[in-house]
Amino acid sequence: MSGEPSIFFADVNERQGSFLRRTFVFGGLATLGVAALVGRLAQLQVVQAQEYATLSSQNQFNFRMVPPPRGLIKDRNGVVIAGNRPSFRVLVVRDETKDLDQTLDLLGRLLPDTLERRRAIIRDVNASSKFNPVPVKSDLTWEEFAKVNLYANELPGVMADMNDARYYPFGGSFAHVVGYVAKVSDRDVKAIRDKGEEVPPLLFNPSFRIGRQGVEKALDEALRGEPGGNRVEVDARGRVVAEDVGGSRPAVPGQEVVLTLDADIQNRALEVFGEESGACVVMDVRNGDILAMTSAPSFDPNLFVGGVPSSIYRALADYERRPLLDKALTGTFAPGSTFKPVVGLTALKRGGDPNRRIVCNGAYYLGRRFACLGRHGSQDMRSAIKNSCNVYFMTLAVEVGPDAIAETAREMGFGQTYDIGISGQKPGLVPDREWRRKNPVRGDGKWYPGETPSYGIGQGALTVNALQLAVYASRLANGRKAVTPRLIKSIGGVEQGGDRSFADLPYDPAFVQVMREGMEAVTDVGGTGFRNSQLGLGDIRMAGKTGTAQAQNYGAGSRKGAGRPWAQKDHNLFIAFAPADNPRYAVSVIVQHGGMGGGTAGAPRAREVMKVALLKDPEMRARMERPPAPEPTETTDLTQPSTVEPAAPTPEAVDPLPPSTEPRL
Amino acid sequence: MTASALSRPGERERVSTKISQLDWRLLLLICAVGGAGAMMLYSVGGGSWSPWAAKHLIRFGVCLVLMLGLSMINIRYWFALAYPIYGVALFLLALVETPLGYTALGATRWLDLGVTRIQPSEIMKIGVVLALARWYHGASAKEASFHWKLIIPVAIIGMPFLLVAHQPDLGSAMLIGLTGAAIMFMAGLNWKIIAAVAAVATVAVPPYVMFGMHDYQRHRVLTFLNPEADMADKGYQIVQSKIAMGSGGLLGKGYGLGSQSQLEFLPERHTDFIFAAFAEEFGFVGAFFLLSAYAAIILISLRIASLSHSHFGRLAASGVIATFAMYVLINGAMVMGLAPVVGVPMPLLSNGGTVMLTVMIGFGLVMATRVHRYAELPKGHGLI
Repeated sequence: MSGEPSIFFADVNERQGSFLRRTFVFGGLATLGVAALVGRLAQLQVVQAQEYATLSSQNQFNFRMVPPPRGLIKDRNGVVIAGNRPSFRVLVVRDETKDLDQTLDLLGRLLPDTLERRRAIIRDVNASSKFNPVPVKSDLTWEEFAKVNLYANELPGVMADMNDARYYPFGGSFAHVVGYVAKVSDRDVKAIRDKGEEVPPLLFNPSFRIGRQGVEKALDEALRGEPGGNRVEVDARGRVVAEDVGGSRPAVPGQEVVLTLDADIQNRALEVFGEESGACVVMDVRNGDILAMTSAPSFDPNLFVGGVPSSIYRALADYERRPLLDKALTGTFAPGSTFKPVVGLTALKRGGDPNRRIVCNGAYYLGRRFACLGRHGSQDMRSAIKNSCNVYFMTLAVEVGPDAIAETAREMGFGQTYDIGISGQKPGLVPDREWRRKNPVRGDGKWYPGETPSYGIGQGALTVNALQLAVYASRLANGRKAVTPRLIKSIGGVEQGGDRSFADLPYDPAFVQVMREGMEAVTDVGGTGFRNSQLGLGDIRMAGKTGTAQAQNYGAGSRKGAGRPWAQKDHNLFIAFAPADNPRYAVSVIVQHGGMGGGTAGAPRAREVMKVALLKDPEMRARMERPPAPEPTETTDLTQPSTVEPAAPTPEAVDPLPPSTEPRL
Repeated sequence: MTASALSRPGERERVSTKISQLDWRLLLLICAVGGAGAMMLYSVGGGSWSPWAAKHLIRFGVCLVLMLGLSMINIRYWFALAYPIYGVALFLLALVETPLGYTALGATRWLDLGVTRIQPSEIMKIGVVLALARWYHGASAKEASFHWKLIIPVAIIGMPFLLVAHQPDLGSAMLIGLTGAAIMFMAGLNWKIIAAVAAVATVAVPPYVMFGMHDYQRHRVLTFLNPEADMADKGYQIVQSKIAMGSGGLLGKGYGLGSQSQLEFLPERHTDFIFAAFAEEFGFVGAFFLLSAYAAIILISLRIASLSHSHFGRLAASGVIATFAMYVLINGAMVMGLAPVVGVPMPLLSNGGTVMLTVMIGFGLVMATRVHRYAELPKGHGLI
């Protein structure tokens, strides 16, 4: 190329020379520019490569939380009382809907009830992130589910899937004790934050439910389980492209909780209340296991799982019989005459004689007249319990004084709460002089003698709850041990309740035996509870004590309660244990405003519940089918749960105490 | 081929001679980059010829034929048509401002001719180069350096710049302006003026960004300065582009395996950000070779410009190369987070017909300059 011009030629004109120099500059600048780009690339791709590789995989991979199945709650026999069932739901992903309004119009044709909740749905969908599926309807029927799937192509952004929903197969039976789960509220989140704790991300999962009452609330964390994660590859729109099975972690199901409750007894205990309001607790007197604990009327906890409609919630909350309230633990009532054995025990403890006779003329006088329900004539302690004579126990009460009664009351289980694993117990009130000093009436902290006669018949400031009554009945029935209640049998297979050996009752067992004999007489011919306490199960008998607690002061006039409005009727109480000769089970029943006389409303209910408990006990069944051996051969320790083969012939359950024909104290 | 053969009368006008005068290295590099574009479009299209790769390849083939055709045209004709082409382009640009202009994406850049839509700003990129080269061809060294007549080249650049900026198409306006400036520079503009303009620009740009720009333009510039502050929109593009390139590392993730581009995290991965997709899949090594190819194209073309016997040829070829270099540098800087996102594609690599056409017509002009480097052009000013 010798003919080509060059910048070194002598004849280069000025313009060309300038151009060539400038071209060198320009070429240099362009090369410098490209070199700068290469330098920048080196910085990004060599120096910072690791950092960007991390960012890239964060882009590419995402963890989708897999909510764990909630732990089952079972009764003592393994019957599921809170389980999980598959639920079909419809979800909407905002990002994939072209037009939310139009999509909801179409969906409304398939699921008409979504139209009613349309505004709430739009609010929920818009509040959620664009890629997050928002459930718009749960618990679809199979037909609805199939329909939504069939029209899936015409419904962009709508999908139907299946998830776990909490289910309570027995409806209201366990509503108060087991509780229920509900959607996590802002208050739940705030409560956790106020405690200074981190809110687990699981709580923000739309399908997660938090325990709201009873066992579900108390053991929420054990029941929750550990969420798993699906490692998924997503595209820029957050859509799942592929699943990375290797990087996925399965969810750990919540721990299984076994309760001491028995579903059959529990169901019956609610059933017997019918429309009535009240509470019933059944306990095993040997080991304190709570076999039933109900509050009536009840409600269906299943309603709360998906979010209870406000109209239904209002109806429940406004009903005067308070179905939402757990009356077994939080309802405190005056124990009425069921308290009389406490007074009797106090007298015996202080050296009183059970055979001492006191004459009832129909009233006791201490400053004023305290009426008895009858003119019982000469009574000893057993007959006074049998006839529920007020005069007898008022006399004893005044003799021993309030502090001694209070002491016994506490020893028998009143005025305290028990660690049964769930919250919400009210301790009630066992009054004494000390209490009066702290709670003076009209500025006067003195205990007036006129308060004591009422105390002796379980009235006045004294209040107890149904669980305490059952503990009391169990201790009477056991006769030796201060049994305490247990509700949680095991969590995740670990036995709960710690050491189940109980302290001794601080009485001579013979004292308690007197009370038991009195209570046996209550349900025998002529007793206050005779008519409604007959079990009809062979020779197994139920012993009990009736009680009436005044709901308000009536002044003079009939206390029968007939024709009075419900809310003014007396509370009706009954405590019982059976078999009378060798107690196994104790029952307490409170019928709120059940009318006067524990034998009318309380006793028949206690009887029905007791029958189920007895019939479920193989030992008891064996006894019903075969009459007991005529002579007791040995005594058994009542605190030891007997392990009995129903088929094997066993030494019959025997009265642990000397026969009642022995000389009495 | 020897000089003596070329000096035979009529010999230079023979097509076979002309073909032999083509720069094969340049041709090969252009084909290589165009082919790399098709390959990347196949990858980001999800391993498919549609929707982009096949069209890109066909378009490239057609443009290649056009380029070779144009390279056979004596630059005398380019010279003669310089002002008319510029005039027509300016007329069409003005037409865009009339109701004939077609609006899309918030900017009026297109002319709807009924059968097809054309973007006069693209024609203008060639038009400005030709018009400036034509004017400087007739101007003396003194006039090119420091003279009142410099108002004419400034006007040649300024009129289309303002019209295009008004559309608004900041990217194209910038390219036209910078190309014009580059030609003025290479034509011999006095250093003092260059220094003065640079000083004024330094002072005037920040206020312009704050007060003279459209909201979306200002947004782009501010986003560029702090991309992480605006992850959802423009900043997202820059951040994702950096992640794509950075995660590619030294050797890349492999062809078709770039997660950023395949999973669509990388925005505009078939147009403005295709270089990032390339760098992700082929790593620093691949991107280095690609950038080297671009640099080689620029330097070879500059060499071709310097060989031209006519001032028109020199300036026209270098003007085209200036445009091309601007494209490469601006796009490269943009995807690497060194410049604002201005919507300038990577020439030959990005999907898109208009830029491909402009660039290939430009290379036709460069090739024509090379083939007809001995062409004698009339001296002095004159319209034709």
